[in-house]
Formats: sequence, C-alpha cells, structure tokens
Amino acid sequence: MALDASQNLEDVELLARFAQGDRTAAQVLTARLAPFVFTQAFRMLGDRAEAEDVTQDSLLRLWHAAPDWQPGQAKVTTWLYRVTSNLCIDKLRRRKRHSGEELPEMPDDRPDMERRLQDRARAQALRAALGDLPDRQKQAMVLRHLEGLSNPDIAQIMQISVEAVESLMSRGKRSLAHALAPQKKALGLEDDG
Amino acid sequence: MDKDFSPPPLNDQDLDALFASAQRDTPELDPEFLTRLQVQAVAALPDTAAPKLPRLGVFGVLSQIVAQFGGWPAGAGLAMAGAVGVVIGVSPPDAVLDITSAYFQTESLSELSGIGFEAEFNWEDS
Repeated sequence: MALDASQNLEDVELLARFAQGDRTAAQVLTARLAPFVFTQAFRMLGDRAEAEDVTQDSLLRLWHAAPDWQPGQAKVTTWLYRVTSNLCIDKLRRRKRHSGEELPEMPDDRPDMERRLQDRARAQALRAALGDLPDRQKQAMVLRHLEGLSNPDIAQIMQISVEAVESLMSRGKRSLAHALAPQKKALGLEDDG
Repeated sequence: MDKDFSPPPLNDQDLDALFASAQRDTPELDPEFLTRLQVQAVAALPDTAAPKLPRLGVFGVLSQIVAQFGGWPAGAGLAMAGAVGVVIGVSPPDAVLDITSAYFQTESLSELSGIGFEAEFNWEDS
C-alpha cells in the first residue's frame, strides 16, 4: 500500500494490514508508535538505553499480538501504555535489586540554554523523587501528569478502578510535594510563583 | 523545645511547573534506532505471502514416497509384486521348490549351474 495513504489510517487499521503482511503498514506504524512508547518509557525510567530496550520489547509484543488483534478490544495506544508500563515496572524492580539509580546524560545542543538547564534540573529532581514512590503510584503519576491521560484511561491501563487511580495519585502527589520541598529554591520554583 | 524545621510541601503550582519541565526535557527518539525498529517490524511481519505447506498425515507421507517411484500406478505394481512375493514365500509352486532345494543341497554355485571352476579359470591352459 502507498505510504501517503497509510499515513491517514487509524492505528488499528494499520495493525490489521500489518497482520496481512503489509510492509508499509509496518513502517508507518513503527514511525508513529515508537516515539510515543519511547517517551513514556523514558519518563518512567529516566534512562535512554533502558527506554530503548522497553520500546523495542513493547513493539515486538505488539507485532506478535497483531494477527490475533480484535478491533473492538482496546485502542492500540492503550494496549501499548499498559505493556510499556509493565515493562518499565519490571525494569524498576530489577534496578532496585541492584545499585542506585544514575540519571542520564543528554546532549545539550538546543538554544535557550538557561531554560533548558532549569528544565533538566527540575526533570532530574522530579524523576529522582518519582523513583522513590511505590511503582504503582509512580505509574499513575507519570500517566496522568506527564502523558496527560485521563483518570478513566489510566484506570483501564492499570486495570483498577478510577477511585483507586485517584487514591494512588493523591498519595503520590503528597509524597512528591514533601520530598521536593527542600529543593524548592534550588529548582527556581519561588521565581515562578 | 524542639522545632520542626522541615520546609512546607510544594503546592500544586510548583508541582505542575516540575511536570512541565519534565515533559519538555524528554529526549527525542534516535533516528537510527527508529530505522532499526522499522527493520525489525518488517522482519516480524506474518508470512502470509508464502503458501503454507499442508500438514502431512500418514497418507500424505505415503503419497510423497509413492510419488518418488512414479505415482500410484507404479505404487500399485509394486504392491502387487510384493503380494506375489508373499504368496510364493508362503505357498511356493513346485518349480520354485525344485530350484530352492537344488540350491540349498549343493555346495557351490558352479555345481548348481553346471559350470565347473576349471572352465572359468583354466589355469593350466593359459
């Protein structure tokens, strides 16, 4: 199928074409979903290499699921959120069994350096604080506040009730607010005020 | 008297600012990595283009073996020959009995065929 025509198809339609052996669908779907999976994984893990591992693994699982995919069962992105979250939690648990977490180094080649540095410092502090939360709290916080999903969507992804999601986020937010309080000035939060 | 010096927790606005920073600070996907993922996706495509080989049962395997020897007509001939062989073995005709008894009662092939070794290897004449 032509590349342009494939770009306009829904994920689920592309996945059906993938299951029929359509190379273009495979490429378009990968280009569309890989950044989305990688971003979510990076926000949960804070590590590029681990996020790439999870991205690769999540997509391979999707390809294997494609032939048996039921169009009405779930949105492809919801399914991917769930798989990616679970893979990230596995990585976090394995990481906790080993040594302390190292924050990633990222290239800094963009303009607006001051703002970038502040974003970096804040993001690292937030990731470190998120890393100390229980895994399910962290998962809910990332999906809500970094991925921007609604509570019902998060409930579906985490396979819990909306009330349970709200409870997880309430506790997570309270923990973050206390954990990050000593760094308020250093993170330039008073200037935002 | 002890005083609690722990700072007050961040408010919602502070937390929102941190989340906004973290959203902006997410790295982009490496294009080379994306290319690798696309190659993997194509490699993972279900093989729908190639016709699937039917699973062969006992009959199928037998058909393939028979086909090697010329198909079912040849197979039928082979089966008939095998059956005749069994009949001859179980209930041999007299002519066959004569030949086999003559064979097993003699000591050498030359006696059975009536040709002596001397005729074949005529050492003294050479």
